[in-house]
Amino acid sequence: MENVEQTKLRILREAIESNIGVARSSRVKPQVLPKHTPPLWLWGFLLIAIGAAAGFVARHQEREDVKKMVGAQLDTLRGIQAQKSIAYRAVPSLVVSREKDPSSHPASADTTKTLSPVGGQLLKAAVPFAAAYRINRAALPLTVRRIVIDPGHGGKQHGAISESGVSEKDVTLDIALRLRRLMENAPFEVLMTRQTDETLPLEKRVAFANTSNADLFVSIHVNWMEPREIRPLETYYVGATNDPAVIKLAGIENRDSGYSLADYRRLLEKIYLDTRRDESYMLAKTINAELYQSLSQINPELENRGVKMAPFAVLVGTQMPAVLAEVSCLSNEDDVKLLTNADYREAIAQALLRGILSYAKNLNGSEKSIADLWKKQTKLSASE
Amino acid sequence: MEETNETLCIGIDLGTSRSSISASDGERHVVDSYVGWPLDDMVARKLMKKAVFVGREALDNRSMLDLRRPLERGVIKEGSAKDEEAVQELLRHLISLIGIKQKSKNRGKVRAVVGVPAEAFRVSRQRLRSAMDGIADSVMLVSEPFAVAYGVEALLHAMIIDIGAGTADFCVMQGRYPTDADQRTLPNAGDSIDERLLKLMQEHHPEAQVSIYMIRDWKEKWSFVGEPKSRVTVTVPAKGKATEFDITNQMSAACESILPPISETMIDLLCRVEPEYQEQVRQNIILAGGSSLISGLPEALEKACSELGGGRVTVVKDPIFAGSDGGLAIACDATNADWQRLSL
Repeated sequence: MENVEQTKLRILREAIESNIGVARSSRVKPQVLPKHTPPLWLWGFLLIAIGAAAGFVARHQEREDVKKMVGAQLDTLRGIQAQKSIAYRAVPSLVVSREKDPSSHPASADTTKTLSPVGGQLLKAAVPFAAAYRINRAALPLTVRRIVIDPGHGGKQHGAISESGVSEKDVTLDIALRLRRLMENAPFEVLMTRQTDETLPLEKRVAFANTSNADLFVSIHVNWMEPREIRPLETYYVGATNDPAVIKLAGIENRDSGYSLADYRRLLEKIYLDTRRDESYMLAKTINAELYQSLSQINPELENRGVKMAPFAVLVGTQMPAVLAEVSCLSNEDDVKLLTNADYREAIAQALLRGILSYAKNLNGSEKSIADLWKKQTKLSASE
Repeated sequence: MEETNETLCIGIDLGTSRSSISASDGERHVVDSYVGWPLDDMVARKLMKKAVFVGREALDNRSMLDLRRPLERGVIKEGSAKDEEAVQELLRHLISLIGIKQKSKNRGKVRAVVGVPAEAFRVSRQRLRSAMDGIADSVMLVSEPFAVAYGVEALLHAMIIDIGAGTADFCVMQGRYPTDADQRTLPNAGDSIDERLLKLMQEHHPEAQVSIYMIRDWKEKWSFVGEPKSRVTVTVPAKGKATEFDITNQMSAACESILPPISETMIDLLCRVEPEYQEQVRQNIILAGGSSLISGLPEALEKACSELGGGRVTVVKDPIFAGSDGGLAIACDATNADWQRLSL
């Protein structure tokens, strides 16, 4: 029988091997997917351009950049969708709670919630922090008009990298571009945080989504985890305190001057979290269900780890219902093989689309065209 | 530490509330896991002479700082550049405490094992590794409860419950490197006691002027579950006048609030152990982390085990340094060849 020293040695070996997997994956030279590999000269040009831009753009101008970025994408969309006469909403992402049983999911245990801030004005206003209440969803006709798709990582940030060198940033961009194409006929405006292989800090992604007054934010990622045999599917929504005392606490701390601005910001963030969480949960649930239903037919080993809460920056910072989907796992080479297959990536994009449509069609003010498109997509999926 | 070309092994416990470092030359330090930068404000800039503040110094000057607690709730906020920078500053500070000058030419090799909350270990490994770039030469990341288990040699038929500020991490050791299935993380830990106690103070003593930092200090001095050993009284301003308040009942209620989720998770994990080993694991439950110092906690968890046939809960000898000491043990046991493979 093994003694303590032998057990220690064996476990130490396992710990080291686990770490070497991470160390190696962060050093592996990426073997980008051929479809979106820009030529070498373009890489050089992009690097120089990004470097030059980073040097000259002052920090306080970042918000202006984001506005311009949104404006440019909106202008393009206006051109494309002029015939559809899409009305841009004056009030962004008014988030309300569902009428469903509040105990139906862990995030809705509170009996009181607040409205989400409008247009990011909460920080500037003299916030009363009182009178937090739920809004009856039936009282407001809501619909989804604008979606921001966020392909995870990009540019210098490769994200996870498989043993064979497939980068998360390439997979996520490919899926996002497919999803955008699939949404061409949907009554949504679709904006993307990035459309090329570019480095984009998460703060900018968040600012982009908020400035564009998006109704939904869907961030696409690919997992990497130990042990490598596992093939998990996970969908995250924002998670932090759901204690209504946070609101009261913020009011009290506003009166005292012992807190820094950073603390105020954190307290305010918690209010944002509480208001958006119900809708984010429902969106995560529908997306996760569609992904699992669709992908488990191709990938029977897929392990559905379900919907989870996590304080990812893109989920914390965005002001609209937001989810982060880990659609596959780059640590598993069988998953990597599937991900390098365009049909599988297309299946992921289709499942994401059905998840979004399924969520949108259940909104009180949902347009008939959304339900029609959802039906069409569901039939397509069944026939496949 | 004298600057030599010798190799130095270190263990770091990167905690939500406190971070500790243990080095192979015998140095041990603990700091509050706070990092702050002077606000972009004329007064703050004039008063704050340093570019960055870490630990208690940051906390004490918080009104003039952009204060960060980078591992709040057990993970680094993804993509929050400031929080990632804060993690790096915290690590740099810890390393500087043991006398290592990072830019010194005479600096020997630094091999670091960093224990992080189990959830951060799961989702932020690559970012944590990157954060160590330029701070150490080789790095190994492990979950905090595993580091504790290794340090106290509780590797077979044992359960480690590491109750920190942001999270309570559970790990069943079954003679193998723990997988995700062997570990659990709960958000119910020291911070949730603070929030609860603050809420109770506002309800029962609305006139008392308190801050979360005062609450945190009280908890560290007088927290308990079960019967109080003595009354807990505090003196705080009420309308500006120093006033004494008895907070025994509020302290009890706040501390007891973490017991149900911790007991339930402990029992659930115990029930998942192979049946022939359950009794052994029940008799070998080890508490670590700052919140394991709550008076009466081991007894309360033993009581929870009684419905399964009884159990034994002990607290590690040095809960504050158990994680970093465990990390140091791992660092010293790894071979040169291993460290070469783990170089940054």
